[in-house]
Amino acid sequence: MSGVNLSGIVKAYGAVQVVHGIDLEVAEKEFVVLVGPSGCGKSTTLRMVAGLEEITAGELTIDDRRMNRVAPKDRDVAMVFQNYALYPHLNVADNMAFGLRIRKMPKDEIKTTIDDVAEILGLTPYLDRRPADLSGGQRQRVAMGRAIVRHPKVFLFDEPLSNLDAKLRTQMRAEIKRLHNRLGVTSIYVTHDQVEAMTLADRIVVMNDGNIEQVGTPMELFNDPANVFVAGFLGSPPMNQIKGVLTATGAQIEGTEIKLSGAVNDNVGRDVIVGIRPEHVTLEAGEDTTALPIALDLVEPLGSEALLHARSGDDNLVFKADTNGDIAHLSGVKEVHVPSHLVKLFDAETGRALNLGA
Amino acid sequence: MADNQTSTPDKPITYSDGRATRLFDHFKREWQIYLMLLPTIVWFLVFLYKPMYGLQIAFKDYSIFRGVAGSPWVGWEHFQTLFTNDQFLRAVSNTIKISALNLLFGFPAPIILALLFNEVLNATYKRTAQTIVYLPHFISSVIIAGIVITAFSPTAGIVNTFISWLGFDPVYFLTQPQWFRPIFVGTGIWQEAGFGSIVFLAAIAGVNPSLYESAVVDGANRWQMMWKITIPSILPTILIMLIIRIGNVMEVSFELVILLYQPSTYETADVVNTWVYRQGLQSGQYDLAAAAGLFNAVVAFVLVMTANTISRRYSRTSLW
Repeated sequence: MSGVNLSGIVKAYGAVQVVHGIDLEVAEKEFVVLVGPSGCGKSTTLRMVAGLEEITAGELTIDDRRMNRVAPKDRDVAMVFQNYALYPHLNVADNMAFGLRIRKMPKDEIKTTIDDVAEILGLTPYLDRRPADLSGGQRQRVAMGRAIVRHPKVFLFDEPLSNLDAKLRTQMRAEIKRLHNRLGVTSIYVTHDQVEAMTLADRIVVMNDGNIEQVGTPMELFNDPANVFVAGFLGSPPMNQIKGVLTATGAQIEGTEIKLSGAVNDNVGRDVIVGIRPEHVTLEAGEDTTALPIALDLVEPLGSEALLHARSGDDNLVFKADTNGDIAHLSGVKEVHVPSHLVKLFDAETGRALNLGA
Repeated sequence: MADNQTSTPDKPITYSDGRATRLFDHFKREWQIYLMLLPTIVWFLVFLYKPMYGLQIAFKDYSIFRGVAGSPWVGWEHFQTLFTNDQFLRAVSNTIKISALNLLFGFPAPIILALLFNEVLNATYKRTAQTIVYLPHFISSVIIAGIVITAFSPTAGIVNTFISWLGFDPVYFLTQPQWFRPIFVGTGIWQEAGFGSIVFLAAIAGVNPSLYESAVVDGANRWQMMWKITIPSILPTILIMLIIRIGNVMEVSFELVILLYQPSTYETADVVNTWVYRQGLQSGQYDLAAAAGLFNAVVAFVLVMTANTISRRYSRTSLW
């Protein structure tokens, strides 16, 4: 199988360790996204898989073959770079043919392959153009085309959409997803954009400070973040995190006791962080909800919904609310209602998620 | 009124202020930059433009007593003299031959050196080697000529010592016309190739590193990366330097020729500038020398214009 397996992978530059022994299994045909803030080690990890960075310790296997000392060209991976890495002096066809020529593929075969891939990517009219004569989106497609023509076992993407504007990014995101569904090649994708991660990934790997914080499907990570870092990183806007203390009947935050769905049992008195997703609150009281008083200070309309920026005690909070075509009614909001089954709890000291008993 | 808020992109732009006002505003805003530019403009005017007034003596029977303005016009007489003078024609021919050799061997040398330096991975070795090859540039031409004369000396020179070791008779290199051009061109490469490589090293440093990384993943080796990435990427710089070099084709290193040549090697060594020096300053034929200098400048101008036009047309790279 064309899976990728990272086992105890460490990367150090001299005495400075930047990746601290990560373990990750990427299954064949899987689309895995490494996501995290700048400097978290995601690109370094990807470059170790590509062979562009030496692995300090641990073991990397592709297709069950140990790759630590294998040259990049022999790993059968293709990489799409953040700045596309297109050769400015070559036209689109020659850019795409570069790797094939290096591998001494017969000329007619190269032509057929490039024509096929150009057709898939909608690049046929641009084959004679140089990168400077292409738009950002077209360049991005050429970069992907150059990777696709190689028919590699693994695609590696290093923030390939970060140089595009928001609209083009959305389009290209969908194209990458379609392409993956069509080609079914194992892919590892690095981004710092959690929306890209959520929309593209079969599984997301959230990294922070050279460690993996959590691995799971987008919805697993969204619904059950393992810690406050993941909770704060995924979701837009991120999860509200409010300091509180567990009581016998719920979680006491400043002035309000939030009802919980689980049993607190012997955790009474424990310092916690109460996590409330902005989109989980309602403006109307419902069954098993807690009214959370807020002091609204800003309403940001987004079209069908609006962001309510508010304060509750010392905490700055953000909630999402439906506009129903008008935001006038939102300016008078004095409280939001928090459904108890959607409240997340994290240990205040360790930041790890707490699962209360039934 | 939504229509009032849309733009009409096809209409020609009408500036609210006139060109003169905008220019004045620009000078007022950027006066510090123009102040910094001033010394260079003054230098050009004083040393390059004002002397052009004297160029007219190329068309006059110049006498230092009558002055530039007072000397009578003689039309193309000096040019006719030049083109019927065997020594001048020989000097033109030598200039072209030496320049051609310089272009052929001297121009690629710093490029090759820069490419080699780029492949050196050991930083200490690279720095040391670079310093060694840069050094000759900072040595005066007089000393360079002294070193060359000593090195090729038939009695104590290292070259002839080596030749003697091999069992051959010493060669009087600097008195034999056939050796002048190789020695001259070789000396120029030794003196300037290292320093000249800095421009190309800077161009190589500007190549996007991801191009190499992408090529590595594609399976390219160092040699392929040099041919397929480095050289094409620095081609615009190479072309610019080539155009500048072509513009200087008639300006063979005058000092070094004067220092290395002797009457026995005039046959291959005498170039236009040395001929002008001998005729103009040593024989006092300023008008004839001015005509030769003007001829040199016109040829250089035509060459640089042609090279620039060809480069712009075929590679989108040009000086202006």
